[in-house]
Amino acid sequence: MGTVLQYLDQEPFRFLLSVGAILFLVLNLAAVFTMAERKTSAYIQLRYGPNRVGPRGLLQPAADVFKLFSKENLSPSRADLWIFLGAPIAMFIPAALVWLVVPFAPNAVIADLNVAIVFFIAVTSIGALGLIMAGYGSRSTFSLLGAMRGAAQMISYEVPLILSLLGVIMLSGSLSLVDVVNAQGGGFWHWYFLPQLPMFIVFYIAGIAEARRVPFDLPEGESEIVGGFMVEYSGMTWGLIQAAEFASMGLISAITATLFLGGWQPPIEALDFGNFNWIWFGLKTALLVFTFQWIRWSLPRLRMDQLMDFGWKILVPICLIWLFVTAGLMLLFPSVF
Amino acid sequence: MLIAFIFLASMTLISALAVVLSRNVVHSALFMSGSFLGVAGFFVMLNAPALAAFQVLIYVGAVTVVILFGIMFTQRPQVRRFRLIINRQMWSGLFVALGVGAFLAYILSIQDWVGTSPGYGPRETAELGEILLGLNGAPEIFSLLFEVISVLLLVAVVAAIVVSRRKTGEGIDRGVEE
Repeated sequence: MGTVLQYLDQEPFRFLLSVGAILFLVLNLAAVFTMAERKTSAYIQLRYGPNRVGPRGLLQPAADVFKLFSKENLSPSRADLWIFLGAPIAMFIPAALVWLVVPFAPNAVIADLNVAIVFFIAVTSIGALGLIMAGYGSRSTFSLLGAMRGAAQMISYEVPLILSLLGVIMLSGSLSLVDVVNAQGGGFWHWYFLPQLPMFIVFYIAGIAEARRVPFDLPEGESEIVGGFMVEYSGMTWGLIQAAEFASMGLISAITATLFLGGWQPPIEALDFGNFNWIWFGLKTALLVFTFQWIRWSLPRLRMDQLMDFGWKILVPICLIWLFVTAGLMLLFPSVF
Repeated sequence: MLIAFIFLASMTLISALAVVLSRNVVHSALFMSGSFLGVAGFFVMLNAPALAAFQVLIYVGAVTVVILFGIMFTQRPQVRRFRLIINRQMWSGLFVALGVGAFLAYILSIQDWVGTSPGYGPRETAELGEILLGLNGAPEIFSLLFEVISVLLLVAVVAAIVVSRRKTGEGIDRGVEE
């Protein structure tokens, strides 16, 4: 057994195993989040939600996946087939790959990159490419409109997303997520959401926009463009797009928890569980995911010009101002930081 | 290591060839992102993950997306075949290609290509930043160049705002024009 483990710890196998584990995690996460989304929406709207398959409907995701696999994959006859089929993959792979750099618990990170934050930004920015591929490949006006909206939105909200990270990078002095988490040890008053409260709020909002959820779901906009870039998809290709959306929602929650809420650090020292600190990471991520769902089922959708104004005229100036405040405080009181 | 190199090299070269040979502008742009990803893979192999991340962020995430955006705004999906333009510029294109080819061949012949193993440049992002600012023994001209680049970007941003600014009195236009 020991020798087998040592053999699997060698480089190509370690990487392949890790990627396999991440894919397993992300696909299951997508299923669980679908279920959570339906249940949350149901309770917010005073109904039961899915409650037939399994105890309290908990096995509904398994039935959903079975249904999706048994459905036919339709594609429009005029579609650009390779781009049409490649788009869900181009959306899912980036959303899954970033999980490689997320620290789940002490010493439990697959790739401790020294540029993990840049990696996160870089790989999430590929998602816009998948969106455009889906919109163009479908050769449908609704899809193209949705893709244009989505690309414009993701390019615009990338700016506040990156700017709001700079405060954390300055405070921790590192681009590595492991270092960022380690710098937040020793109780919840050391977490970065307190000194960086405006940045935290901006990152959270820009994160919702990057995950394309209500109130920023203009690329889908089911009441105006009937589903936007994914209107032509069916069966498992549609399932993969959904999985990518839920994976990126979980990813944004996990990164927010890591950067601003202390990652796996317990709220007070007495609750330190050692290697079981992933419980704290999971709890924080789940809480953020719940707030995402809460917002989704409570708020109306923004209009396109409101979306652009909000991003460029409110979020970006807040980031720049707080960046200067942080830099000034760090210069004035170098002993505190 | 060699297998990864061959894989990345063929990915980069085949995508680059496909960019040129493809008759569809959107296909060309997408193949270009594949080529950029291959180059990012080379940076990872050379132990420079920061460069690779910036390559993906800037070239795949920004340049390709903006190019695709431009294509979709300026051309209708059906009329994107432009064989005529290519043929009209064949001789000048051949001239430029020969020039670039000669230059690359010259570089290829004077350099000593030992293998695919990485060199000994700076690895940490902080170190790279200090060199860019001319600190720690790096030439001080670097900090001047750094400032010049930021001024250039500022000029570009201001110019973009001036070009896209609406003149007063024009109606507000919220939709995408056909």
